[in-house]
Amino acid sequence: MKLDRRKFLNMLLGFGGIGGILSVFYPVFSFLIPPKTTEPKVNSVKAGMSAEFPANSSKIIKFGRKPVILIKTEDNQYKALSASCTHLDCIVQYKNDTKQIWCACHNGIYDLNGRNISGPPPRPLEEYEVKIVKDEIVITKVG
Amino acid sequence: MGKRFYYFLLCTLTVSFLFGFAFSEKENKKADQNQKVDQCFTCHKEIDNLPKDFSENDIHRHANLSCSSCHGGDPNSDDQDVAMSPSKGFVGVPKRKDIPKFCGKCHSNINIMRVYQPRIATDQVEQYYTSVHGKKLLAGDENVAECSSCHTAHSILPAKDPRSSVYALNVPNTCNKCHGNSSLMKNYNIPVNQLEEYSKSVHGIALLKNKDISAPACNDCHGNHGATPPGLKSISHVCGTCHVSNMEFFNATRMAKAFEEQDFHGCEQCHGNHGVQKPNDEMIGVGKESKCTDCHSEGDKGYNVSKNIYSSLTKLKKEYDTANAKYLEVRQKGMNDVEIGFQLQDAKQALIQSRTLIHTFDSVKVGAKVKEGIEFSNKASMLAQKEIDDYSTRRNGFAIATLAFLVFVIALYFKIKDKEKKAS
Repeated sequence: MKLDRRKFLNMLLGFGGIGGILSVFYPVFSFLIPPKTTEPKVNSVKAGMSAEFPANSSKIIKFGRKPVILIKTEDNQYKALSASCTHLDCIVQYKNDTKQIWCACHNGIYDLNGRNISGPPPRPLEEYEVKIVKDEIVITKVG
Repeated sequence: MGKRFYYFLLCTLTVSFLFGFAFSEKENKKADQNQKVDQCFTCHKEIDNLPKDFSENDIHRHANLSCSSCHGGDPNSDDQDVAMSPSKGFVGVPKRKDIPKFCGKCHSNINIMRVYQPRIATDQVEQYYTSVHGKKLLAGDENVAECSSCHTAHSILPAKDPRSSVYALNVPNTCNKCHGNSSLMKNYNIPVNQLEEYSKSVHGIALLKNKDISAPACNDCHGNHGATPPGLKSISHVCGTCHVSNMEFFNATRMAKAFEEQDFHGCEQCHGNHGVQKPNDEMIGVGKESKCTDCHSEGDKGYNVSKNIYSSLTKLKKEYDTANAKYLEVRQKGMNDVEIGFQLQDAKQALIQSRTLIHTFDSVKVGAKVKEGIEFSNKASMLAQKEIDDYSTRRNGFAIATLAFLVFVIALYFKIKDKEKKAS
Protein backbone atom coordinates (compact mmCIF):
# COMPACT_ATOMS: atom_id res chain seq x y z
CA MET A 1 0.00 0.00 0.00
CA LYS A 2 1.48 3.27 -1.06
CA LEU A 3 1.30 6.01 1.54
CA ASP A 4 0.85 9.35 -0.30
CA ARG A 5 1.91 12.70 1.13
CA ARG A 6 -1.61 13.81 2.08
CA LYS A 7 -2.40 10.61 3.99
CA PHE A 8 0.93 10.83 5.83
CA LEU A 9 0.20 14.43 6.74
CA ASN A 10 -3.28 13.52 8.01
CA MET A 11 -1.78 10.71 10.09
CA LEU A 12 0.75 13.06 11.62
CA LEU A 13 -1.98 15.60 12.28
CA GLY A 14 -4.13 12.95 13.95
CA PHE A 15 -1.25 11.61 16.07
CA GLY A 16 -0.15 15.10 17.11
CA GLY A 17 -3.73 16.23 17.75
CA ILE A 18 -4.66 13.24 19.92
CA GLY A 19 -1.28 13.43 21.73
CA GLY A 20 -1.80 17.15 22.29
CA ILE A 21 -5.34 16.66 23.63
CA LEU A 22 -4.14 13.87 25.99
CA SER A 23 -1.26 16.07 27.19
CA VAL A 24 -3.75 18.76 28.15
CA PHE A 25 -6.40 16.54 29.71
CA TYR A 26 -4.15 14.07 31.59
CA PRO A 27 -2.82 16.72 34.03
CA VAL A 28 -6.38 18.07 34.40
CA PHE A 29 -7.68 14.63 35.42
CA SER A 30 -4.64 14.10 37.67
CA PHE A 31 -5.43 17.35 39.40
CA LEU A 32 -9.08 16.40 39.87
CA ILE A 33 -8.13 12.99 41.34
CA PRO A 34 -4.98 13.81 43.37
CA PRO A 35 -2.78 11.09 44.90
CA LYS A 36 -3.09 10.54 48.66
CA THR A 37 -0.24 12.80 49.77
CA THR A 38 0.22 14.99 52.78
CA GLU A 39 0.86 18.69 52.47
CA PRO A 40 4.50 19.33 53.34
CA LYS A 41 3.69 22.48 55.35
CA VAL A 42 1.10 21.94 58.03
CA ASN A 43 -0.09 24.35 60.70
CA SER A 44 -2.85 22.23 62.21
CA VAL A 45 -4.18 18.70 61.96
CA LYS A 46 -7.36 16.99 63.02
CA ALA A 47 -6.70 14.08 65.33
CA GLY A 48 -10.06 12.35 65.50
CA MET A 49 -13.12 12.64 67.70
CA SER A 50 -12.63 13.41 71.36
CA ALA A 51 -15.27 10.89 72.47
CA GLU A 52 -13.43 8.05 70.70
CA PHE A 53 -10.15 8.76 72.48
CA PRO A 54 -9.96 6.96 75.84
CA ALA A 55 -8.51 8.67 78.91
CA ASN A 56 -4.95 7.73 80.04
CA SER A 57 -3.91 6.83 76.52
CA SER A 58 -1.98 8.32 73.64
CA LYS A 59 -1.53 8.20 69.91
CA ILE A 60 1.05 9.36 67.44
CA ILE A 61 -0.22 11.93 64.94
CA LYS A 62 1.56 12.83 61.72
CA PHE A 63 1.90 16.61 61.85
CA GLY A 64 3.28 17.24 58.37
CA ARG A 65 6.73 15.77 58.48
CA LYS A 66 6.83 15.64 62.26
CA PRO A 67 5.36 13.03 64.59
CA VAL A 68 3.35 14.46 67.46
CA ILE A 69 2.28 12.52 70.54
CA LEU A 70 -1.28 13.30 71.63
CA ILE A 71 -2.05 12.30 75.21
CA LYS A 72 -5.39 12.26 76.98
CA THR A 73 -4.65 12.26 80.69
CA GLU A 74 -6.65 10.49 83.37
CA ASP A 75 -8.51 13.72 84.11
CA ASN A 76 -9.38 14.13 80.41
CA GLN A 77 -6.84 16.87 79.71
CA TYR A 78 -5.16 16.87 76.31
CA LYS A 79 -1.43 17.27 75.79
CA ALA A 80 0.27 17.40 72.40
CA LEU A 81 4.04 17.33 72.25
CA SER A 82 6.63 16.63 69.61
CA ALA A 83 7.12 12.85 69.56
CA SER A 84 10.77 13.08 68.50
CA CYS A 85 13.08 12.52 71.45
CA THR A 86 15.49 15.44 71.80
CA HIS A 87 18.37 12.99 72.26
CA LEU A 88 18.51 11.02 69.00
CA ASP A 89 15.07 11.60 67.40
CA CYS A 90 13.48 8.29 68.41
CA ILE A 91 9.69 8.29 68.75
CA VAL A 92 8.59 8.66 72.38
CA GLN A 93 5.71 6.76 74.01
CA TYR A 94 3.24 7.49 76.78
CA LYS A 95 3.57 5.16 79.79
CA ASN A 96 0.08 4.92 81.22
CA ASP A 97 1.35 3.28 84.44
CA THR A 98 3.89 5.95 85.40
CA LYS A 99 2.06 8.78 83.59
CA GLN A 100 5.28 9.83 81.91
CA ILE A 101 6.61 10.09 78.39
CA TRP A 102 9.30 7.53 77.70
CA CYS A 103 11.85 7.01 74.95
CA ALA A 104 12.62 3.35 74.40
CA CYS A 105 15.98 3.96 72.74
CA HIS A 106 17.93 5.15 75.79
CA ASN A 107 15.30 5.27 78.51
CA GLY A 108 14.86 9.03 78.38
CA ILE A 109 11.91 10.25 80.44
CA TYR A 110 9.83 13.42 80.13
CA ASP A 111 6.96 14.61 82.29
CA LEU A 112 3.55 15.36 80.82
CA ASN A 113 4.61 18.96 80.17
CA GLY A 114 7.41 17.66 77.98
CA ARG A 115 10.19 18.51 80.44
CA ASN A 116 13.16 16.15 80.27
CA ILE A 117 13.43 14.67 83.75
CA SER A 118 15.66 11.61 83.38
CA GLY A 119 18.09 9.94 81.02
CA PRO A 120 20.02 11.48 78.14
CA PRO A 121 17.47 13.88 76.53
CA PRO A 122 19.07 17.33 76.61
CA ARG A 123 15.99 19.46 75.99
CA PRO A 124 12.22 19.40 76.60
CA LEU A 125 9.77 18.28 73.92
CA GLU A 126 8.20 21.01 71.79
CA GLU A 127 4.63 21.71 72.82
CA TYR A 128 1.60 21.93 70.50
CA GLU A 129 -1.76 23.47 71.22
CA VAL A 130 -4.83 21.23 71.45
CA LYS A 131 -8.34 22.55 70.85
CA ILE A 132 -11.63 20.73 70.78
CA VAL A 133 -13.77 22.01 67.94
CA LYS A 134 -17.24 20.43 67.85
CA ASP A 135 -15.91 17.38 69.72
CA GLU A 136 -13.06 17.03 67.21
CA ILE A 137 -9.46 17.24 68.42
CA VAL A 138 -7.41 19.84 66.54
CA ILE A 139 -3.67 20.12 67.08
CA THR A 140 -2.04 23.44 66.23
CA LYS A 141 1.53 24.59 66.21
CA VAL A 142 2.26 27.10 68.96
CA GLY A 143 3.51 30.51 67.80
CA MET B 1 -17.47 71.57 92.46
CA GLY B 2 -16.01 74.98 92.90
CA LYS B 3 -12.62 76.57 92.64
CA ARG B 4 -11.85 75.64 96.24
CA PHE B 5 -11.91 71.95 95.40
CA TYR B 6 -9.38 72.38 92.58
CA TYR B 7 -7.10 74.47 94.83
CA PHE B 8 -7.35 71.72 97.46
CA LEU B 9 -6.51 69.04 94.89
CA LEU B 10 -3.56 71.03 93.56
CA CYS B 11 -2.17 71.59 97.07
CA THR B 12 -2.57 67.91 97.99
CA LEU B 13 -0.74 66.78 94.85
CA THR B 14 2.07 69.31 95.38
CA VAL B 15 2.55 68.29 99.00
CA SER B 16 2.47 64.59 98.10
CA PHE B 17 5.04 65.14 95.36
CA LEU B 18 7.38 67.12 97.62
CA PHE B 19 6.99 64.61 100.43
CA GLY B 20 7.64 61.69 98.06
CA PHE B 21 10.71 63.43 96.61
CA ALA B 22 12.06 64.20 100.08
CA PHE B 23 11.44 60.60 101.17
CA SER B 24 13.17 59.09 98.14
CA GLU B 25 16.12 61.45 98.67
CA LYS B 26 16.28 60.28 102.26
CA GLU B 27 16.17 56.64 101.15
CA ASN B 28 18.90 57.28 98.57
CA LYS B 29 21.04 58.94 101.21
CA LYS B 30 20.42 56.00 103.50
CA ALA B 31 21.41 53.56 100.75
CA ASP B 32 24.49 55.67 100.00
CA GLN B 33 25.40 55.61 103.65
CA ASN B 34 25.00 51.81 103.65
CA GLN B 35 27.39 51.61 100.75
CA LYS B 36 29.75 54.09 102.36
CA VAL B 37 29.92 52.28 105.69
CA ASP B 38 31.97 49.52 104.07
CA GLN B 39 35.22 51.20 104.95
CA CYS B 40 37.20 48.04 104.04
CA PHE B 41 36.33 48.45 100.37
CA THR B 42 36.72 52.24 100.42
CA CYS B 43 40.18 52.25 101.98
CA HIS B 44 41.52 49.23 100.07
CA LYS B 45 40.33 50.76 96.83
CA GLU B 46 41.89 54.12 97.70
CA ILE B 47 45.27 52.60 98.39
CA ASP B 48 44.86 50.32 95.40
CA ASN B 49 45.14 47.26 97.56
CA LEU B 50 42.12 45.22 96.55
CA PRO B 51 42.72 41.47 96.07
CA LYS B 52 44.14 40.57 92.67
CA ASP B 53 41.09 38.57 91.67
CA PHE B 54 38.60 41.12 93.04
CA SER B 55 35.52 41.65 90.89
CA GLU B 56 32.70 44.13 91.38
CA ASN B 57 30.41 41.37 90.06
CA ASP B 58 31.16 38.99 92.92
CA ILE B 59 27.92 37.40 94.15
CA HIS B 60 28.62 38.37 97.76
CA ARG B 61 29.20 41.99 96.88
CA HIS B 62 25.94 42.01 94.93
CA ALA B 63 24.23 40.70 98.09
CA ASN B 64 25.60 43.80 99.90
CA LEU B 65 27.94 41.73 102.02
CA SER B 66 31.05 43.51 103.21
CA CYS B 67 34.62 42.18 103.19
CA SER B 68 34.17 41.91 106.95
CA SER B 69 31.40 39.32 106.45
CA CYS B 70 34.17 36.82 105.67
CA HIS B 71 37.33 38.41 107.03
CA GLY B 72 35.85 39.94 110.20
CA GLY B 73 36.75 43.37 111.58
CA ASP B 74 34.74 46.55 111.76
CA PRO B 75 33.62 47.86 108.35
CA ASN B 76 32.28 51.07 109.92
CA SER B 77 35.60 52.39 111.08
CA ASP B 78 38.05 54.22 108.83
CA ASP B 79 40.78 53.71 111.39
CA GLN B 80 42.87 50.74 110.24
CA ASP B 81 43.81 49.74 113.77
CA VAL B 82 40.19 49.62 114.84
CA ALA B 83 38.80 48.15 111.60
CA MET B 84 41.36 45.35 111.48
CA SER B 85 41.55 44.69 115.17
CA PRO B 86 41.36 41.04 116.33
CA SER B 87 39.12 42.31 119.10
CA LYS B 88 36.62 43.19 116.37
CA GLY B 89 36.82 39.64 115.05
CA PHE B 90 39.33 40.37 112.27
CA VAL B 91 40.82 37.13 110.93
CA GLY B 92 42.47 38.43 107.77
CA VAL B 93 43.46 35.96 105.07
CA PRO B 94 42.49 32.46 106.20
CA LYS B 95 44.99 29.64 106.09
CA ARG B 96 44.40 27.26 103.23
CA LYS B 97 43.46 24.37 105.50
CA ASP B 98 40.80 26.58 107.12
CA ILE B 99 39.11 27.79 103.92
CA PRO B 100 36.30 25.16 103.75
CA LYS B 101 35.26 25.92 107.32
CA PHE B 102 35.75 29.64 106.63
CA CYS B 103 33.20 29.52 103.76
CA GLY B 104 31.11 27.03 105.71
CA LYS B 105 30.46 29.63 108.43
CA CYS B 106 27.65 30.84 106.21
CA HIS B 107 27.31 28.13 103.56
CA SER B 108 26.68 25.40 106.11
CA ASN B 109 24.20 27.51 108.02
CA ILE B 110 20.70 27.17 106.62
CA ASN B 111 19.46 30.14 108.67
CA ILE B 112 21.92 32.42 106.89
CA MET B 113 21.64 30.82 103.45
CA ARG B 114 17.85 30.86 103.52
CA VAL B 115 17.98 34.65 103.40
CA TYR B 116 20.05 34.74 100.22
CA GLN B 117 19.46 31.46 98.37
CA PRO B 118 16.73 29.36 99.98
CA ARG B 119 17.28 26.49 97.52
CA ILE B 120 21.03 26.15 97.96
CA ALA B 121 22.39 22.99 99.61
CA THR B 122 24.14 23.58 102.91
CA ASP B 123 26.10 20.33 102.98
CA GLN B 124 28.83 21.35 100.56
CA VAL B 125 31.51 21.48 103.25
CA GLU B 126 30.38 18.13 104.62
CA GLN B 127 30.53 16.68 101.10
CA TYR B 128 33.90 18.29 100.52
CA TYR B 129 35.46 16.44 103.45
CA THR B 130 34.35 13.14 101.85
CA SER B 131 36.16 14.03 98.62
CA VAL B 132 39.76 13.18 97.81
CA HIS B 133 40.53 16.90 97.99
CA GLY B 134 38.90 17.25 101.41
CA LYS B 135 40.50 14.14 102.91
CA LYS B 136 43.93 15.22 101.77
CA LEU B 137 43.43 18.75 103.07
CA LEU B 138 42.45 17.35 106.45
CA ALA B 139 45.56 15.20 106.36
CA GLY B 140 47.65 18.36 106.00
CA ASP B 141 48.19 18.44 102.24
CA GLU B 142 47.79 22.11 101.27
CA ASN B 143 48.28 21.56 97.54
CA VAL B 144 44.81 20.17 97.03
CA ALA B 145 41.80 22.11 95.86
CA GLU B 146 39.64 23.95 98.36
CA CYS B 147 36.61 26.21 97.74
CA SER B 148 38.52 29.12 96.23
CA SER B 149 40.49 26.89 93.85
CA CYS B 150 37.34 26.27 91.82
CA HIS B 151 35.09 29.20 92.76
CA THR B 152 37.84 31.84 93.04
CA ALA B 153 38.10 33.94 96.18
CA HIS B 154 36.83 37.37 95.20
CA SER B 155 35.11 36.94 91.84
CA ILE B 156 32.60 34.28 92.76
CA LEU B 157 29.64 34.06 90.41
CA PRO B 158 26.58 31.79 90.43
CA ALA B 159 27.17 28.47 88.62
CA LYS B 160 24.51 29.44 86.07
CA ASP B 161 26.37 32.60 85.10
CA PRO B 162 28.40 31.95 81.91
CA ARG B 163 31.23 34.07 83.37
CA SER B 164 31.52 31.79 86.38
CA SER B 165 34.51 29.47 86.74
CA VAL B 166 32.06 26.69 87.60
CA TYR B 167 29.61 27.32 84.72
CA ALA B 168 29.20 24.03 82.82
CA LEU B 169 31.26 25.20 79.81
CA ASN B 170 34.08 26.40 82.07
CA VAL B 171 34.27 23.42 84.44
CA PRO B 172 36.76 21.34 82.36
CA ASN B 173 39.22 24.25 82.20
CA THR B 174 38.72 25.08 85.88
CA CYS B 175 39.58 21.49 86.91
CA ASN B 176 42.45 21.51 84.44
CA LYS B 177 44.11 24.45 86.18
CA CYS B 178 45.38 21.89 88.69
CA HIS B 179 44.83 18.58 86.89
CA GLY B 180 46.74 19.80 83.84
CA ASN B 181 49.69 20.95 85.97
CA SER B 182 52.29 18.21 85.71
CA SER B 183 54.48 19.50 88.54
CA LEU B 184 51.48 19.49 90.86
CA MET B 185 50.08 16.15 89.70
CA LYS B 186 53.33 14.19 89.75
CA ASN B 187 53.05 13.97 93.55
CA TYR B 188 49.75 12.13 93.17
CA ASN B 189 50.72 9.99 90.19
CA ILE B 190 47.77 11.33 88.20
CA PRO B 191 48.06 11.82 84.43
CA VAL B 192 47.65 15.38 83.18
CA ASN B 193 46.09 14.67 79.78
CA GLN B 194 42.49 14.31 80.93
CA LEU B 195 41.35 17.59 79.41
CA GLU B 196 43.11 16.77 76.14
CA GLU B 197 41.39 13.37 76.05
CA TYR B 198 38.05 14.80 77.16
CA SER B 199 38.13 17.56 74.50
CA LYS B 200 38.29 14.90 71.78
CA SER B 201 35.61 12.73 73.37
CA VAL B 202 31.96 12.65 72.38
CA HIS B 203 31.10 14.45 75.63
CA GLY B 204 33.86 17.03 75.24
CA ILE B 205 32.94 17.83 71.64
CA ALA B 206 29.29 18.25 72.64
CA LEU B 207 30.16 20.56 75.53
CA LEU B 208 33.22 22.50 74.43
CA LYS B 209 32.71 22.61 70.67
CA ASN B 210 28.93 22.49 70.27
CA LYS B 211 28.32 24.42 73.52
CA ASP B 212 25.70 21.89 74.61
CA ILE B 213 25.59 22.48 78.35
CA SER B 214 23.55 19.32 78.87
CA ALA B 215 26.66 17.28 77.97
CA PRO B 216 28.58 15.97 80.97
CA ALA B 217 31.54 17.93 82.32
CA CYS B 218 34.01 16.59 84.94
CA ASN B 219 31.63 17.13 87.87
CA ASP B 220 28.78 15.16 86.28
CA CYS B 221 30.74 11.92 86.69
CA HIS B 222 33.08 12.75 89.56
CA GLY B 223 30.77 14.90 91.64
CA ASN B 224 31.68 18.46 92.55
CA HIS B 225 32.09 19.14 96.25
CA GLY B 226 32.44 15.43 96.93
CA ALA B 227 34.70 14.89 93.91
CA THR B 228 36.10 11.38 93.90
CA PRO B 229 37.08 8.99 91.11
CA PRO B 230 34.14 6.59 90.61
CA GLY B 231 34.89 3.20 92.17
CA LEU B 232 34.71 -0.04 90.20
CA LYS B 233 31.15 -0.76 91.25
CA SER B 234 29.89 2.75 90.68
CA ILE B 235 31.22 3.21 87.14
CA SER B 236 28.23 1.66 85.43
CA HIS B 237 25.94 3.61 87.77
CA VAL B 238 27.70 6.88 86.96
CA CYS B 239 27.39 6.27 83.20
CA GLY B 240 23.92 4.84 83.80
CA THR B 241 22.60 8.10 85.19
CA CYS B 242 22.31 9.20 81.57
CA HIS B 243 22.67 5.92 79.65
CA VAL B 244 19.94 4.18 81.63
CA SER B 245 18.99 1.35 79.24
CA ASN B 246 22.61 0.43 78.56
CA MET B 247 23.23 0.11 82.29
CA GLU B 248 20.07 -1.94 82.90
CA PHE B 249 20.81 -4.30 80.02
CA PHE B 250 24.44 -4.72 81.05
CA ASN B 251 23.73 -5.25 84.74
CA ALA B 252 21.26 -8.03 83.91
CA THR B 253 23.88 -10.06 82.04
CA ARG B 254 26.27 -12.72 83.25
CA MET B 255 29.01 -10.54 81.83
CA ALA B 256 28.41 -7.92 84.56
CA LYS B 257 29.15 -10.52 87.23
CA ALA B 258 32.20 -11.75 85.32
CA PHE B 259 33.44 -8.15 85.06
CA GLU B 260 33.05 -7.71 88.79
CA GLU B 261 34.93 -10.93 89.53
CA GLN B 262 37.76 -9.90 87.22
CA ASP B 263 37.88 -6.34 88.61
CA PHE B 264 37.02 -4.94 85.18
CA HIS B 265 35.81 -1.36 85.04
CA GLY B 266 32.24 -1.79 83.69
CA CYS B 267 31.52 0.61 80.82
CA GLU B 268 35.07 1.93 80.87
CA GLN B 269 36.46 -1.46 79.86
CA CYS B 270 35.14 -1.09 76.30
CA HIS B 271 34.38 2.62 76.01
CA GLY B 272 37.24 4.24 77.90
CA ASN B 273 36.75 7.10 80.35
CA HIS B 274 37.78 10.69 79.62
CA GLY B 275 38.30 10.03 75.92
CA VAL B 276 35.05 8.13 75.36
CA GLN B 277 34.23 8.17 71.66
CA LYS B 278 30.93 7.82 69.87
CA PRO B 279 30.57 4.05 69.62
CA ASN B 280 30.65 2.42 66.18
CA ASP B 281 29.58 -1.00 64.95
CA GLU B 282 33.20 -2.07 64.55
CA MET B 283 33.53 -2.21 68.35
CA ILE B 284 31.46 -5.37 68.24
CA GLY B 285 32.24 -8.37 66.02
CA VAL B 286 35.61 -9.97 65.51
CA GLY B 287 37.41 -7.38 63.39
CA LYS B 288 40.50 -5.36 64.20
CA GLU B 289 38.62 -2.72 66.20
CA SER B 290 36.53 -5.24 68.11
CA LYS B 291 36.48 -4.92 71.88
CA CYS B 292 35.03 -8.40 72.27
CA THR B 293 38.17 -10.11 70.98
CA ASP B 294 40.12 -8.55 73.86
CA CYS B 295 38.70 -11.41 75.95
CA HIS B 296 36.98 -13.81 73.55
CA SER B 297 38.83 -15.97 71.07
CA GLU B 298 37.70 -17.97 68.06
CA GLY B 299 35.59 -20.96 68.96
CA ASP B 300 34.15 -19.72 72.23
CA LYS B 301 30.49 -18.76 72.63
CA GLY B 302 31.09 -15.06 73.17
CA TYR B 303 33.12 -14.89 69.95
CA ASN B 304 30.24 -16.34 67.94
CA VAL B 305 27.63 -14.13 69.64
CA SER B 306 29.71 -11.09 68.86
CA LYS B 307 30.09 -12.20 65.23
CA ASN B 308 26.32 -12.73 64.88
CA ILE B 309 25.43 -9.40 66.46
CA TYR B 310 27.86 -7.60 64.17
CA SER B 311 26.46 -9.37 61.13
CA SER B 312 22.85 -8.42 62.06
CA LEU B 313 23.75 -4.82 62.77
CA THR B 314 25.69 -4.27 59.58
CA LYS B 315 22.84 -5.82 57.58
CA LEU B 316 20.37 -3.35 59.08
CA LYS B 317 22.80 -0.47 58.63
CA LYS B 318 23.22 -1.39 54.96
CA GLU B 319 19.46 -1.55 54.37
CA TYR B 320 18.97 1.70 56.25
CA ASP B 321 21.70 3.45 54.22
CA THR B 322 20.17 2.21 50.95
CA ALA B 323 16.74 3.48 51.97
CA ASN B 324 18.22 6.77 53.17
CA ALA B 325 20.06 7.30 49.88
CA LYS B 326 16.79 6.78 47.98
CA TYR B 327 15.02 9.12 50.42
CA LEU B 328 17.59 11.83 49.70
CA GLU B 329 17.13 11.26 45.96
CA VAL B 330 13.35 11.64 46.36
CA ARG B 331 13.87 14.90 48.26
CA GLN B 332 16.31 16.15 45.65
CA LYS B 333 13.78 15.40 42.90
CA GLY B 334 11.15 17.35 44.82
CA MET B 335 8.79 14.38 45.15
CA ASN B 336 6.62 13.52 48.16
CA ASP B 337 8.91 12.19 50.90
CA VAL B 338 6.69 12.52 53.99
CA GLU B 339 5.72 8.87 54.49
CA ILE B 340 9.22 7.69 53.53
CA GLY B 341 10.58 9.99 56.25
CA PHE B 342 8.32 8.37 58.86
CA GLN B 343 9.32 4.86 57.81
CA LEU B 344 12.99 5.83 57.90
CA GLN B 345 12.56 7.34 61.35
CA ASP B 346 11.19 4.01 62.57
CA ALA B 347 14.07 2.19 60.88
CA LYS B 348 16.57 4.53 62.52
CA GLN B 349 14.90 3.99 65.87
CA ALA B 350 15.18 0.21 65.43
CA LEU B 351 18.86 0.65 64.53
CA ILE B 352 19.49 2.72 67.68
CA GLN B 353 17.61 0.21 69.83
CA SER B 354 19.52 -2.69 68.26
CA ARG B 355 22.77 -0.95 69.13
CA THR B 356 21.58 -0.41 72.72
CA LEU B 357 20.56 -4.06 72.89
CA ILE B 358 24.19 -5.03 72.26
CA HIS B 359 24.57 -4.57 76.02
CA THR B 360 22.38 -7.64 76.55
CA PHE B 361 25.00 -9.67 74.62
CA ASP B 362 22.03 -11.63 73.28
CA SER B 363 22.12 -12.10 69.51
CA VAL B 364 18.47 -13.26 69.46
CA LYS B 365 17.21 -10.03 71.06
CA VAL B 366 19.38 -7.92 68.76
CA GLY B 367 18.29 -10.03 65.76
CA ALA B 368 14.58 -9.47 66.50
CA LYS B 369 15.02 -5.70 66.64
CA VAL B 370 17.19 -5.77 63.52
CA LYS B 371 14.43 -7.64 61.68
CA GLU B 372 11.99 -4.90 62.66
CA GLY B 373 14.40 -2.26 61.38
CA ILE B 374 14.95 -4.07 58.09
CA GLU B 375 11.19 -4.19 57.50
CA PHE B 376 10.91 -0.43 58.02
CA SER B 377 13.94 0.18 55.80
CA ASN B 378 12.54 -2.02 53.03
CA LYS B 379 9.19 -0.28 53.19
CA ALA B 380 10.92 3.11 53.01
CA SER B 381 13.01 1.86 50.09
CA MET B 382 9.93 0.61 48.28
CA LEU B 383 8.04 3.88 48.76
CA ALA B 384 11.09 5.87 47.69
CA GLN B 385 11.53 3.73 44.57
CA LYS B 386 7.87 4.32 43.69
CA GLU B 387 8.40 8.08 43.91
CA ILE B 388 11.59 7.87 41.84
CA ASP B 389 9.74 5.81 39.19
CA ASP B 390 6.87 8.29 39.28
CA TYR B 391 9.33 11.09 38.67
CA SER B 392 10.70 9.24 35.60
CA THR B 393 7.18 8.61 34.31
CA ARG B 394 6.37 12.31 34.61
CA ARG B 395 9.55 13.30 32.79
CA ASN B 396 8.95 10.80 29.99
CA GLY B 397 5.30 11.85 29.78
CA PHE B 398 6.33 15.47 29.43
CA ALA B 399 8.81 14.59 26.67
CA ILE B 400 6.16 12.57 24.76
CA ALA B 401 3.62 15.37 25.17
CA THR B 402 6.11 17.94 23.86
CA LEU B 403 6.90 15.69 20.90
CA ALA B 404 3.17 15.20 20.15
CA PHE B 405 2.60 18.96 20.19
CA LEU B 406 5.61 19.51 17.95
CA VAL B 407 4.41 16.92 15.44
CA PHE B 408 0.92 18.45 15.56
CA VAL B 409 2.23 21.94 14.90
CA ILE B 410 4.48 20.79 12.01
CA ALA B 411 1.69 18.68 10.51
CA LEU B 412 -0.75 21.60 10.83
CA TYR B 413 1.74 23.87 9.06
CA PHE B 414 2.06 21.50 6.12
CA LYS B 415 -1.68 20.90 6.06
CA ILE B 416 -2.34 24.65 5.76
CA LYS B 417 0.28 24.92 3.03
CA ASP B 418 -1.32 21.99 1.29
CA LYS B 419 -4.77 23.63 1.46
CA GLU B 420 -3.39 26.92 0.11
CA LYS B 421 -1.66 25.09 -2.73
CA LYS B 422 -4.86 23.24 -3.53
CA ALA B 423 -6.91 26.46 -3.45
CA SER B 424 -4.52 28.27 -5.77
